[in-house]
Amino acid sequence: MPARPALGRKMRSKAGTERMQSALSYAILLTFLLFVIFPFYWMTVTSFKSEEQMRSLVSMFWPSPFATENYSQLLKKTDFVSWFKNSVIVSVSSTLLATAIGTIGAYALARLRFFGRAFMASAVLITYLVPPSILFIPLYAQIRNLGMADSLTGLIAAYPSFTVPFVTWLLMGYFESIPEELEEAAMIDGATRFGAFYRIVLPLAAPGLLAAGLYAFTQAWNEFLYALVFITDVKLRTLPVGLSSFITGDVYGWGYLMAGAVLTTLPVIAAYIYLQKYMVEGLTAGGVKG
Amino acid sequence: MATTAARIPAKRTTLEESRGPHRVGLRRWLGPDYRMGFLFTLPIVALVLALVAYPFCYALYLSMTQKYVGMPAVFVGFDNYVKLTFDGFFRRAVYNSFIFTGGSVLIKLVLGMGMALVLTSAIRFRSFWTGVLLIPWVAPTVVSALNFLWIFDYSLGVLNYLLVKVFGILPQGIGWLSEPGTAMASVIGVNVWRGFPFFGISFLAGMKAIPAETYEAAAVDGANVLQRFRHVTLPGIRNILIIVILLSTIWTFNDFAIVYILTKGGPGGATSVLPVFTYEMAFGAQRLGEAVAAALYMLPPLAFVIIVLSTHMRRGKKQ
Repeated sequence: MPARPALGRKMRSKAGTERMQSALSYAILLTFLLFVIFPFYWMTVTSFKSEEQMRSLVSMFWPSPFATENYSQLLKKTDFVSWFKNSVIVSVSSTLLATAIGTIGAYALARLRFFGRAFMASAVLITYLVPPSILFIPLYAQIRNLGMADSLTGLIAAYPSFTVPFVTWLLMGYFESIPEELEEAAMIDGATRFGAFYRIVLPLAAPGLLAAGLYAFTQAWNEFLYALVFITDVKLRTLPVGLSSFITGDVYGWGYLMAGAVLTTLPVIAAYIYLQKYMVEGLTAGGVKG
Repeated sequence: MATTAARIPAKRTTLEESRGPHRVGLRRWLGPDYRMGFLFTLPIVALVLALVAYPFCYALYLSMTQKYVGMPAVFVGFDNYVKLTFDGFFRRAVYNSFIFTGGSVLIKLVLGMGMALVLTSAIRFRSFWTGVLLIPWVAPTVVSALNFLWIFDYSLGVLNYLLVKVFGILPQGIGWLSEPGTAMASVIGVNVWRGFPFFGISFLAGMKAIPAETYEAAAVDGANVLQRFRHVTLPGIRNILIIVILLSTIWTFNDFAIVYILTKGGPGGATSVLPVFTYEMAFGAQRLGEAVAAALYMLPPLAFVIIVLSTHMRRGKKQ
């Protein structure tokens, strides 16, 4: 019997440590959340503040009065709407291009047996790892020689240099995870290799395609360096370059700059919330697995 | 099962035989799926050649020329590289790049590990928190940089407001981005803010793959929390750890947007990292040859990192 109280105490202390640990976990989690969320909160609050409020430092953490003038000013007096349109055109077309090229390429590299496959797979991965800061000057020269400088076509042509290798790499992992027996069964039943790919593999890989496409979209939507270098016409800017051109050191610019920041972030965040599961899985499966 | 397995190769040989000896020969040399394989990889090959391989070779050539925008290039051999080696501004940019990259990656590693450990512990709504913590990684870099530019603002920024008026830690505000002492720390902070969730989510994926029995066995053997982390968690995510650190090193070393928007390399060159230096050289000073040489100067170590990294990533994928 003497063991019992000792055991009880030990169990109680164990429960105590567990509670301590979980309290600690929540405390750290809360710190992380504050750190991560605050800039977004601050951006949103600022976008609804009036000029006077911003200058006078009153009611710092909430708009008072709640003003929408920044948004109306942004839409009416700046080129924000054209920039938004440009960003949509460039991101959507380069995403479609990248996903189409990446899908068939990844399938071939993951599944088909042909000469040079292993070499090509390595080349795609290495291409993915070569940073844009090395390529932007020669690419700019090349795009200009082709007469595509200062046009959205130039950006649409250049963005696959980083979206395609990424999409291909991500989807190779996805295709490899689909059991090969399914295609073999279809081919025994008389389907061609292409038929097996089109009817069996593609539908199964749809979530992967979605994740890859979304990543390509966010990468193109967020791209800054090429857009800054290739485009000089104010009307042809994409959102990141357009927004950054608002920095003038002028105090009154912050309101509509933050309104623009909110509107630039929304499409990406909306896509992300809607497809979070796929995107997180895609990131961890394609980028780093092992 | 054995009969179906035996039937598959049998059927394949008959198919191949029916297509004649010529095709069988090509198939032997180029692989059984060569036609569809070549067709499907043709766009990628064209793209890689046109958008990466050719510009890269062109960059190698440009770096050995004296080239101004709109003027023909004059071949000068390794002059640009030699000149850069003794250029004080370039050397400072290299030094700054190493400080920026080293500092950022180290802090991201620590925070990412913390994030992964918190998210593997027993908390509620775990996947929701994971999703929220990943938002900085998804949000446009330029937007984040602009947000922090506003947060760091000397007179109206919220950081100085918090530190001076709310918490009373400082007697007066700091010009975070305009003083050499704090500018580098500030740009590192923003890079960390954006990048640590990637570390966290990757480590989390790795930790989830470690079987619970391994931890239980270690606990039964009397290993405490730290020992379990050291001897079970760390070896379990070793490959991911290497991949994430190397990937982030490449990305951080080449990060342009954050530094360009926050400081443009200032004040007085205190945060001039290589990509910003290269950009200014090319489109400010219009000296393309030297700019490309500056961009390629770090190619040997970069190539080494890329080769090590791609080996690890391919190994990770096969597992």
